[in-house]
Amino acid sequence: MWDMTSGPITSLGYPIVQHTLENGLRVISSPDHLAPSVAVNIWYDVGSRDEEQGRTGFAHLFEHVMFQGSANVASGQHISLLQAAGAVVNATTWFDRTNYFETLPTGGLDLALWLEADRMSTLLDALTQENLDNQREVVKEEKRQRYDNVPYGDVMELLNTLTFPPDHPYGHTTIGSMEDLDAATLDDVHSFFRRHYVPNNAVLSIVGDVEPEDAFERADVYFGPLASGSKPPKPGAGPLQPLSGLPRTESSGKVPADAVYFSWRLPATGGRDFDAVDLGLTVLGHGQTSRLHKQLVRGTEHAESTSASALGLIGGNSFGFGYARSRDGIRPEQLEQEMSELIDQLLTDGPTDEELRRAKAQFERHWLHELARVDSRADVLGEYATLHGDPHLITSRIAEISAIGSEDVRAALQEWLRPDQRATLIYRQEAP
Amino acid sequence: MREFLPRPSIAPAAVWAFPEPQRARLSNDIELLIFNLPGQHVISAHLVLGVPLNAEPRDIEGVATICARTLDEGTQRHNGEEFAELLETEGAGFGVDLSLSGAQLVLDVPASHLDRAMELFAEAVTEPSLAERDVNRHVQLRLAEIEQAQANSAQTASIAFRAAVFEETKRAARMSGGEPDTIRQVTPDAVAAFHHDHFGPTGATLVLAGDFADDPIAVAERSLGSWRNDDQRQVSVQEPAAGPRRTLLIDRPGAVQADVRYGSFGIDRLDPRWSAISVASYAMGGAFLSRLNAVLREEKGYTYGVRMNFGPLRTGGSFAVQGSFRTDVVVDALATTRDLIKVDSVPFSSQEVGDAVAFFTGVSPLRYATADGVADQAATQVLAGLPDDYVDRSLALLRSVTPEGATEAYRSVVHPDDLTLVVVGDAERLADPLRASGFADLEVRPADS
Repeated sequence: MWDMTSGPITSLGYPIVQHTLENGLRVISSPDHLAPSVAVNIWYDVGSRDEEQGRTGFAHLFEHVMFQGSANVASGQHISLLQAAGAVVNATTWFDRTNYFETLPTGGLDLALWLEADRMSTLLDALTQENLDNQREVVKEEKRQRYDNVPYGDVMELLNTLTFPPDHPYGHTTIGSMEDLDAATLDDVHSFFRRHYVPNNAVLSIVGDVEPEDAFERADVYFGPLASGSKPPKPGAGPLQPLSGLPRTESSGKVPADAVYFSWRLPATGGRDFDAVDLGLTVLGHGQTSRLHKQLVRGTEHAESTSASALGLIGGNSFGFGYARSRDGIRPEQLEQEMSELIDQLLTDGPTDEELRRAKAQFERHWLHELARVDSRADVLGEYATLHGDPHLITSRIAEISAIGSEDVRAALQEWLRPDQRATLIYRQEAP
Repeated sequence: MREFLPRPSIAPAAVWAFPEPQRARLSNDIELLIFNLPGQHVISAHLVLGVPLNAEPRDIEGVATICARTLDEGTQRHNGEEFAELLETEGAGFGVDLSLSGAQLVLDVPASHLDRAMELFAEAVTEPSLAERDVNRHVQLRLAEIEQAQANSAQTASIAFRAAVFEETKRAARMSGGEPDTIRQVTPDAVAAFHHDHFGPTGATLVLAGDFADDPIAVAERSLGSWRNDDQRQVSVQEPAAGPRRTLLIDRPGAVQADVRYGSFGIDRLDPRWSAISVASYAMGGAFLSRLNAVLREEKGYTYGVRMNFGPLRTGGSFAVQGSFRTDVVVDALATTRDLIKVDSVPFSSQEVGDAVAFFTGVSPLRYATADGVADQAATQVLAGLPDDYVDRSLALLRSVTPEGATEAYRSVVHPDDLTLVVVGDAERLADPLRASGFADLEVRPADS
């Protein structure tokens, strides 16, 4: 009945088996009997990049509505039933995806699948204006708590705006704007659900104390009856060239220290180019032995903290960041100058072999950590199946990273991180 | 008419137990706890030192934190940058966690690199340089960190709450990392003296968890077995005490939300009421549809989330309802909270108790399925003076909690009319309405004081 294709057993011993239901729902199983628990994780291929003009923040608001009940589940009951089965439950929305997940004792697997299937098929049956309004308020509180009421809380939004055009899928943040949240209607929820929440736009990962045949059979029982929809087209943004024109802005707030931020357009994830830039940014700004920390925190002591990192995205481009926060009396322009010299140096010389070895060793530990837990492994499987089309790719990541050489990193940085390819944000302390 | 499958029932959970450690002693008497966890390729090592924060001299509190943060800035054998580079080349992560009852020094490293990484880890712990320049920098960075905390509403609320809820002479009342006036007094000599006096093998425990490539006992012996400190001093953990009730509004002009902490002095894990209070606090403010969250988030939309938390110390502890509410609903949110936390006429139900027990029982296997989860719990148990089978015992005790027991324990600990309140928000808009709504003894404190 199903085309079960078995993948390679990884050197780490994580088996991965895939199966696609007739309605197009992809199901991934990775059995692991160490603990009597199972992780259920659904990636929907929809994120803030799929939002329409005037509806920023909607994908995330929609995620909240998904917990407000469906034909057979009362409002809030999704989480309460699962918690009473011993589950840890949550969901998140990001630029490229919305994921819903629960990890629980194996005996609750059917309940988890039933609940996920019920909302995937009948969310609209339970939707009311009252529920939408309530969750709109909750999301606005979330925005206040996580962005508006914290120091430097608007940095991400400012960098999005600097780095991508306003109508670009990555030109706005996932949390969106208060105005757009206020403007969301029940009709929006209906059309968003019909468009994006179809079985063939989702990946279901079941990782833990259940064998693949069993996992697929149960998935088929609960999700098999759901009708497939038409796979929504992805936003048509092709890869943009690196930034040009040195966009620059300033902001100020009640913050204890001035800071400078750089951002870059990077290549999309899923290729050697991105991995090479990612390693380069690790060498530049991740951890105590990174160049930024050694020079600005330890050396000149001009910065209280520094960092650089890549945020991998699938839609044509990724996002790169670097920042430094001033020690007392150091102007952010001075840090800007020092940071840019360090970046230029890295572009010219490339990382040393030692630096690259360290960056790879840190990646390896991070990746082993990700795969060690059934819940995070399920999420990574969903990510690779959704964005890159193949969950087996997770087994070759360490090999892929270790194959990248110093010259690859230098070449990639030369292409994407040249001095005229960045945006700059200066953040100043407001006079008290 | 569509036909729906009935909601599935839950199959009984498999029998599960917290992993049992293998115990050993190094030749210098360091206690060794080993958890062999197949498939866990990142080893987690926690060195637990019985040096409580009250070992710090009062005028230089924070010295333990500066000492711990400077450990990996260089050793007698490897200068600062070289040391950190060697550690990172092994793919290792080094961290420190200081709590009132003791210190944890933590190493995470892929199994194949454990031997070499443990050698470096031991160097950092036993023979750090604690160089003048590094100490002074960490003092400055700690001061900057405090400024960042003071600019953050939630952190300001937590700091003010601990200062109020614990009696002011006790170490628990002040930030673990030290306050500005004491941090400024921390000198390189003081840090060296603190390390010399308090870091040593006596009373230390090393927890190792993961899927080992080499014999962990031999690795531990090679790295830490020869550590000696004849001058090591032993200090016992100070017992905290409750401070007088206060009602405090810390001004944050123009803030769009207010952070709230509403609670009091609490109990520890060895208190006979601990399992009952765990169940009660889950029902009141732990579950998604807890009494507090169901009303304040799901019904009224006042908050992204509200919780009731119990924070046990080695003896005593604290608890608080905590959340963040937009300014124009804070007063109503607090009035609602004040009603909801009273259980006299609405005791906990058997459904609430059953759900709590099922939750705690169900999440344990996952929580302790990784090397760091197990090592972290084992280290916590060492610091709290709890037995190896504490998790299993406490789950068994939870299962025996009755609705009456949960209600009684809650009523004996949570006295709704005698709680300390800390609000961090816009005083101009909040002070008068708060006083009018029953918090008549409200003290208003200006920002940044």
